[in-house]
Amino acid sequence: MKILEVRNLKKSFQEGVGRIQVLENIILEVQAGEKIAITGESGSGKSTLLHLLGMLDTPDSGEIIYSRKNIDSKNNRLNVFRNKKIGFVFQAHYLLEDFTAEENVAMPMFIATQDMKRSKRKAHELLKILNILERKNHFPNQLSGGEQQRVAIARALINDPEIVFADEPTGNLDSKHSDELIKYVIELNEKRGQTFVIATHDKNIAKQMDKHYNLKDGKLYLVEKSSQTE
Amino acid sequence: MNKIVLYFLNKFFKSPKKEWLRFDSIFMVLGIVISVATLTIALAIFEGYENALKETILNVNSHIYIYNGKDKNLDNSHYLELGEFFSEKKEIKKIGKIIINQAMVTKSKKVKGAIVRGVEWQKELPNSYKKFVYEGDYKLADENSAVLGYRLAKELNIKIGDKFKLISPIGSKMTSFGFKQKECDFEVVGLYKSGMYEYDSKYLFIDFQKAAEFYDMQNQFTMLEMELKNEFIEQADLLSYLWDNELEQKYQIHSWIDFNGNLFSLLAMEKWVIYIILSFLILIASFNVVSAISTSIIKRKKEIGILKTFGASNEMLIKIFLIRIFLISFIAVSLGQLSGFLLAKFISWQNFFMLKGEVYFLDAIHVDFSIISWIIILFTALILIMLSIIIPLKNINKLRIIDIIK
Repeated sequence: MKILEVRNLKKSFQEGVGRIQVLENIILEVQAGEKIAITGESGSGKSTLLHLLGMLDTPDSGEIIYSRKNIDSKNNRLNVFRNKKIGFVFQAHYLLEDFTAEENVAMPMFIATQDMKRSKRKAHELLKILNILERKNHFPNQLSGGEQQRVAIARALINDPEIVFADEPTGNLDSKHSDELIKYVIELNEKRGQTFVIATHDKNIAKQMDKHYNLKDGKLYLVEKSSQTE
Repeated sequence: MNKIVLYFLNKFFKSPKKEWLRFDSIFMVLGIVISVATLTIALAIFEGYENALKETILNVNSHIYIYNGKDKNLDNSHYLELGEFFSEKKEIKKIGKIIINQAMVTKSKKVKGAIVRGVEWQKELPNSYKKFVYEGDYKLADENSAVLGYRLAKELNIKIGDKFKLISPIGSKMTSFGFKQKECDFEVVGLYKSGMYEYDSKYLFIDFQKAAEFYDMQNQFTMLEMELKNEFIEQADLLSYLWDNELEQKYQIHSWIDFNGNLFSLLAMEKWVIYIILSFLILIASFNVVSAISTSIIKRKKEIGILKTFGASNEMLIKIFLIRIFLISFIAVSLGQLSGFLLAKFISWQNFFMLKGEVYFLDAIHVDFSIISWIIILFTALILIMLSIIIPLKNINKLRIIDIIK
């Protein structure tokens, strides 16, 4: 089932007197349960694309269709849509410093339901799956980089989103922690059917995904599996 | 209230970072406390002064006075007529005759003008004469005994047991040796202290019959005094008007409001002017709040961005800040009111700074703080502070997630 469709997405930024076209006529389809990698060089526009798909930014033109509904990025209720349908993992963990790991994970559900008890129960389950339950009462600055990112993944999953966007989730991790994190992503995809779109510059991660797109000169190219193995 | 707002509020106060103990937060609270305390002190002293003045005026004098309308004294026939008329009035607590006149008090070559009050001290008086005799005895048992205002006694260096001469031109006689003033010796049996400068420095109390004899007012008196029941004191002017009409303007009936109304109107107006002027202090203190809130929003920009990303609406975030500020302001305003009241109480307890009695009628500083003043200050401060933070809080709407996340 197609859960995300992107048509002719364009985005440019003002730089000095001129404009830089970062994304040009992006076309993308994401099926439910897929895990997709988007690679590209630094500054190629991977993060910009993820921000647009996650409704954190507004495109110049084009359509973003979620489950056959065209989503207006200027809609006032966009926060509710983001809360329920989309999960985010950033390169920097972006956890709330004054809140424990468990509270951080529970926060999106708490925002939606106003029920902290129920949100914490769900957070407890996810922290268990991600094997970080024993650290649930620790604050972000008491966690390692890998643990912080696992907490961030649990937070992204708490509202059972249709799709999770991860922007360079392993960017700040060493190879051991990076492998471990991707192992969890694959496990969550396989066991829960969770859809992931991951922006990364790491080709090894891209190889482990169902589809691999490369972003170059503002355009998105599908990278064939055969060419990846070469 | 929104549970998430309460959760964040709880987190804010319990956070190990103790943001509320930060420099700008403390200065914000201090600004509010000092400005509210200043306003509280001013209003408490003003209110205390107003109440003390009113209480003293009402205690020293009675509430309604009835004179003869023809510029003469009242006599026993008037007394009978008025006694019958007022016996049916449920508003009256006590009623009594009094003689008031002027005289000179002299002792050891010192002379002072005084107001002589002839009182029926044996009866229940419609004023607090007995209560205010603070030294000696209020009983004017001997016909030549007198009670003096303590300031008058001090100025003439008269003590209890001393004798003095009372001289009056009223009732003076022309003799072959010339003009002979009426004079009589009195002995001081008590000192009177009401707290009102004017009364304590002028009043002299003697027995009613002695006063009648001294001023040649046999079977006459100056006026009838009346004390009203507590619930009718504030309606004294209306009652005096009604009774004046019922008695067909045969007498002059005045209330304490007629004599002091302007003074109390002036005091009320001054209180409001002080309230308005000092409210500007709170407005200035609220600028500190604006600065603290703006800093807090900038410092918590990342947190705001994260919460927005995960679904928090602008309204929810504004509420989180708003309730936090409201609670801090409420605590600060209450602290300001409490410290202001305690400071005002201290000012009223100390003795090194007193009012000038001859200017302000009272020399002691009195403090009172009514629940209405408390509510007015609380609301004024909170409304000013809440209004001032609208603009910085609106900046939360302008914060774009993408700018924060990038």
